[in-house]
Amino acid sequence: MKNAVYFIKESVRIFRSNKLSNIFSFFGTFLILFLLALVVGIWSISSQLTALLKEEAEISAYFKQDIQNTEELLHMIEQIDGVRNVRLVDKEEARSRMEKILGEESGILDLFDENPFEAYFEVKINLEKTDSVFTQISGLNGIDYVRENREVLEQIEGVSKALEALGYLVIAAVSITTLVIISHMIRQGIYQNREQIKTFMLLGAPDNFINFPYILLGFLLTFGGGIAATVLINILINQGYSRLASTLPFIPLPPKSRLSLGLTVFLLSASAALGILGSLFGVSTSKKNN
Amino acid sequence: MIKANNVSLKYADGTVALHNVNLNIKPGEFVYIVGPSGSGKTSLLKLLMGIEFASSGSLYVLDQFMVKNEARNIRKLRRKIGPVFQEFRLIQGRTALENVLMGMRFLDIPNRQMIDNANNALKKVGLEHKASVMVEKLSYGEAQRVAIARAVARKPALILADEPTGNLDFDNAINIMNLLYNFKDENTTVLVTTHATHLIDNYRDASIIHVESGKIHVEHRGEQK
Repeated sequence: MKNAVYFIKESVRIFRSNKLSNIFSFFGTFLILFLLALVVGIWSISSQLTALLKEEAEISAYFKQDIQNTEELLHMIEQIDGVRNVRLVDKEEARSRMEKILGEESGILDLFDENPFEAYFEVKINLEKTDSVFTQISGLNGIDYVRENREVLEQIEGVSKALEALGYLVIAAVSITTLVIISHMIRQGIYQNREQIKTFMLLGAPDNFINFPYILLGFLLTFGGGIAATVLINILINQGYSRLASTLPFIPLPPKSRLSLGLTVFLLSASAALGILGSLFGVSTSKKNN
Repeated sequence: MIKANNVSLKYADGTVALHNVNLNIKPGEFVYIVGPSGSGKTSLLKLLMGIEFASSGSLYVLDQFMVKNEARNIRKLRRKIGPVFQEFRLIQGRTALENVLMGMRFLDIPNRQMIDNANNALKKVGLEHKASVMVEKLSYGEAQRVAIARAVARKPALILADEPTGNLDFDNAINIMNLLYNFKDENTTVLVTTHATHLIDNYRDASIIHVESGKIHVEHRGEQK
């Protein structure tokens, strides 16, 4: 690339020739890419949450406390189609679970003279067979009542699907907006340098040579916006995770490093691709007279 | 090299700039194009550069048929031409050296040779000491010489110069004409439009194309190679 240095210098010069407008384009791109990262990040977390909750789908079967042979009852539940796993949670474990959930507030349980929690069967099930499992367990002799949390799961799944749809919408909107911003910026640059471009044409310069600095500038601005958005979203992930870990520890978040890496790769690839596409679109829609 | 058969150029407003032009210019020929303002000199150069296209007749430049739908090939052809524009067409915000280099960056010339060519060309036009000066800080005459340096540094097969001495004093004008004239020894064809008819007598073997009201008359003087 004998002209590599020249192309970089030209891109910088084109940037400087319309500095304010180009800085606004950079910030505009940065902000919409950050918005994109935010939506994709939330979508990714909610999908992960739904998947985890589905895996953990369970119902709690409370039995009459005077029952003697819990082993037999447990075995009967295990035989029901749709049940993946059954275990007995005794009163002590039920209390200690609640203590974990309450965290610093767990002292409130000390107000009770006796352990207020009941022993129960924790039944992991296939979510699709909730109705049948629920009915069959309820009908077993010795079962007092059965509690299921399907409504919560369905609501979370609904939110996740809505976020997915919103994600696609935002991706489309961000892509179009970035293409418009970058291509407009490129067209402006070409218009401002039209005399220079005409001179190059008269000297016989090929279109690739003339266009490359503009494409490079569009790419660098969008990719720069992508890098800035990546930095900001990573700061946000770090802060968000530490806050959620201390305030809502029971929410099953995906591993921080995986979310962070996924968003970084996504943002950098998307910004690079949008930068090149936007620039090419800008160059191809600019009028240049031979 | 350049062959025109009954070429006419009529602009969109109906003005006939050139009428039934016939030319046959050989490689290494040095040609003056003279005539009053508005006679069609610049229009002839525009045809040769592929900026305008003949309304009728056929024109070949360096074996390239000059018609509108050959735009891509005509752009390639321009790489073999060293143009000196009447309005110079220097690129502002760049030094004299950068402007000369601009004419070669997209040619198949290695970087080192490109820089040598540019420095030599600036030396030939007497501007080696102004190589790092921004072109907008140069005088009119100096800017004209940078434009000439840009054209010759490319080592073109054909030089098309539109009034290259128009803003130069006599000594500089003679120097530039000598510079352009010497290119014929390298088998480069040179076409120069000029009002400075007093310079023509210094080059007795140069051909002269007289242009008047769109019609031309070619005067071959002396033997050229």
